[in-house]
Amino acid sequence: MPDSPASTRLPDAGMADAEADLVAELQLGSEAAFRTLVARYQDRVYRTAFSLLRTAEEAEDVAQEVFVEVYQTISRFRGEASLTTWLYRLATSRALKTRRKAQAKKRFAHFTSVLGFDNAVLHEPPDHAHPQALLEGQQQLQLLLDHIARLPDQQQVVFTLRHEQGLRYDEIAAVLNTTVPAVESLLFRARQTLRKHVQPHLRYV
Amino acid sequence: MSDSAFRPAPDEEEWEDLMRQLQDQAQGQPRPFFYNRVSARLSSRPLAPGRAVPLWMLRPAYAALLGVIMLALSGDVGALRPAPAANPATAPDSAQPLRSHSQ
Repeated sequence: MPDSPASTRLPDAGMADAEADLVAELQLGSEAAFRTLVARYQDRVYRTAFSLLRTAEEAEDVAQEVFVEVYQTISRFRGEASLTTWLYRLATSRALKTRRKAQAKKRFAHFTSVLGFDNAVLHEPPDHAHPQALLEGQQQLQLLLDHIARLPDQQQVVFTLRHEQGLRYDEIAAVLNTTVPAVESLLFRARQTLRKHVQPHLRYV
Repeated sequence: MSDSAFRPAPDEEEWEDLMRQLQDQAQGQPRPFFYNRVSARLSSRPLAPGRAVPLWMLRPAYAALLGVIMLALSGDVGALRPAPAANPATAPDSAQPLRSHSQ
């Protein structure tokens, strides 16, 4: 089961104790504990989803779904993974699922427009247009975001967790339920691809 | 001794700068009152943890199949079949009252 908690190193003793207490209260059905959980993790969950989806609406929807799932399945949480790891795992898997659905819908819409089943225009609207990236001098960032979105799922998750969320290699390995060398390899390939596409443009800015 | 020995290559500097920009733009937050919206979503799905009706029952094809099976087991499926061509010599007597009802 990809979303189930797996073995991982806990961040540190103090944080692990705080997480364990919070989980215990959540398992007793405490609404205050759930409010604390949401307040403590909402930004991280939202940002993780946003880094994979690039739209605020979809990121918010995914973040809400993550907390709903946590509330509904916390009784089965055994503490084999840290709560933080589990939340990142839920956020990334749900965001990727949402993205796959959106891409399928987009392909279908494009297919029907090509066949003339609707009156939609044939050009594709620009994707992943981040407001900051649209400002003057931010073209490289937009270019980078475009190419991040084209990376294979695993590479994209590793790259965004490392460079946008600032997670350590071992933390990323725990989220993906893999090893640190595997994370290093994915990150190396992602960087290589991105530099190949973005670097030539950097030289002329 | 040249300073260039201690400086990263220009490409590397630009790349690092781009990585910093990437991290800066990833500081978004959900809209205010996020908890209220999560709470509303939770309360709109009371059946989710222990669903009263199994998920497969919600698929029309399975529900229709279940209906057909129940109908077959109840013995009423004969009522759905077209009546065989009437043969006065072999027709059961029980057919007579039915005919009289139709009048």
